[in-house]
Amino acid sequence: MSTPLIHIEHIARTYEMGGETVHALRDVSLDIHSNEYVALMGPSGSGKSTLMNILGCLDTPSLGVYTFKGLDVNEMTDDDLAEIRNKEIGFVFQTFNLLPRATALKNIELPLIYSGISSQIRKERAIKALEDVGLGDRMLHRPNELSGGQRQRVAIARALVTEPSIILADEPTGNLDTKTGIEIMKLFQDLWSKGNTVILVTHEEDIARHARRIIRIRDGKVESDTINPNPVTSFEIP
Amino acid sequence: MIRISEIQESFRIAFEGLQANKLRSFLTTLGVVIGITFVILMGWFLNGLDAALESTVNLLGTDVMYIDKWSWSGGQNWRKTMQRKNITYQQAMEFCNSVKTAEVSLPEAHKWGTTVKERDRTITGISVIGVPYSYSQLPAGTVLYGRFFSQFEDEYSTNVTVLGYGVAKALFPEGDAIGRTIKIGGRTFEIIGVIIKRGTMMMDFVDNQVIIPISTFFGVYGMTGRSISIAVKAGSAEKLDETRAEATGLMRSIRNVPPGQEEDFSINETQTFKEQVETLRLATWGIGIGLTLLSFIVGIIGIMNIMFVSVTERTKEIGIRKSLGAKSSSILTQFLVESASLCLVGALIAFTFCSVVIAIAVRLVPEADFLTPYVPPQLILIAAIVSIIVGILAGIVPAMRASALDPVEALRYES
Ligand SMILES: Nc1ncnc2c1ncn2[C@@H]1O[C@H](COP(=O)(O)OP(=O)(O)OP(=O)(O)O)[C@@H](O)[C@H]1O
Ligand SMILES: [Mg+2]
Repeated sequence: MSTPLIHIEHIARTYEMGGETVHALRDVSLDIHSNEYVALMGPSGSGKSTLMNILGCLDTPSLGVYTFKGLDVNEMTDDDLAEIRNKEIGFVFQTFNLLPRATALKNIELPLIYSGISSQIRKERAIKALEDVGLGDRMLHRPNELSGGQRQRVAIARALVTEPSIILADEPTGNLDTKTGIEIMKLFQDLWSKGNTVILVTHEEDIARHARRIIRIRDGKVESDTINPNPVTSFEIP
Repeated sequence: MIRISEIQESFRIAFEGLQANKLRSFLTTLGVVIGITFVILMGWFLNGLDAALESTVNLLGTDVMYIDKWSWSGGQNWRKTMQRKNITYQQAMEFCNSVKTAEVSLPEAHKWGTTVKERDRTITGISVIGVPYSYSQLPAGTVLYGRFFSQFEDEYSTNVTVLGYGVAKALFPEGDAIGRTIKIGGRTFEIIGVIIKRGTMMMDFVDNQVIIPISTFFGVYGMTGRSISIAVKAGSAEKLDETRAEATGLMRSIRNVPPGQEEDFSINETQTFKEQVETLRLATWGIGIGLTLLSFIVGIIGIMNIMFVSVTERTKEIGIRKSLGAKSSSILTQFLVESASLCLVGALIAFTFCSVVIAIAVRLVPEADFLTPYVPPQLILIAAIVSIIVGILAGIVPAMRASALDPVEALRYES
């Protein structure tokens, strides 16, 4: 088998809270390969977001090994991590995390600004990404002029514009109604079938059923890690 | 490395921030506005002072020195100077006839604080100077209208006079002085010329004099009981040292100063003016720098405060940017550019304000003609640089705090 995209071994993450140690992650080992479609599930507080932040190089584990594309993340400087977030990772958050004062287009251009791409090309690529998520007619709208589903589409376009190796989505449908959620899931399905690697956090079974592999976390540990025998591929609104 | 795209982005953010918080931005830049105002006004004044000095020195001649009983700078012991013997006309003539390295040298007799009359108009505080016709070869003898007196008029003690610019302007505002007569020392003189304007507000004594032939002067005021000064023109600034050396030696021998003893005369050069102006300059700096520093300290504290507020308000934004790949240095730049822009706006306000103040000041005090009616361009540059430095000083700590934020913490921040 090829080298995994992500390889974590016995990682733990603890927080010090007023003299008390919170174990957000206790001992997690995982391999995720290119073009996998993974759903991370688990009850609230089980450590899903903590794990996602570590996978996305926003955070580093307190213990354990994380190799990304064969490179030891623990050895990296802050600037190296920023570079990986910029080039290799596309984040999608539950609360969209768009800049409120910037237009959809500007929001999508942001990661390209930090990779030093000239404004001309930046704009072209941002327009393309926006069209890909079906919002070509909303370029100059600000987030507060868009619906929740549209905001999440902008956020997905922003995650995709750098052509990253992985899309990490932390409860991407958590703030959306069922219908809009399904539309968003359709986007992820398309991305995955085009060869992207998708990891998403959810606690809705309906959402998780779209993924090809389901990892359940409890109390900072992997509870189960299974292949989804019959993933949902239809996007009919129930 | 910070990329150009990031720097552009920083400017865009800064501009957006300024627009979004116009009043807040204006209030926080007040300290900087005041500081930069001091810098500009101080620079403007010193600039004018320099220009005035320069023009006076040039018009007297950088290669001209005056041998005098008195020192212009007044630096020496006043009692000692008082005890010096007058330079007599004979000594002056002996000097002028023997000096070799000078292009021109001539005696000047002065009568300070006299009155001149034109019909029923009188002006006081005028100095009368008696000089030979060769005075016209000195920069100070350059005629604006009419002519200087001739050798003939000089030798025959004619009652002709050449007026200083200030005198001519006071008595004949229409500019029709030539051919008129005025009374100097009770005698009637024909006006044959007017000297070009030389002084400025600070040194206008050079314009408030009337020049008559030295032989006439002695006829009116007498030769004894006064000290003659000797004007010596070296010919070029490079020859100044040589001429000064000869003049010193020659004068010592004429005045019988024994070797090793201090001279009983002074050699005054236009350089002396510079030394005098230096005092004024230092005073201006002293006051100016004090006030400037004070307002910059106030300004820095204000801006630093507002930058901390800005960092807090935008914690989430910093988290978003970091999650998208912004490095700490990018965030640092963003906030430094923001605080520098804030100060630059302050400089712009100060510049506008100073332009108005200067325009009004120049109109209100027309005598202060050595001051430019606008902000000198080099000061605009200095003000811009100073404001950027102030902005960086004020912004560095908040910017470092912003750049050091943990991305996950920043993303979790709810405002
Ligand atoms: N910055 C922090 N400081 C202290 N404790 C933290 C911090 N971040 C997370 N935790 C703790 O770590 C544990 C795991 O949190 P995490 O956010 O990963 O849960 P989650 O599985 O994403 O939950 P949810 O489904 O509610 O989003 C929780 O107990 C949480 O309180
Ligand atoms: Mg979570």
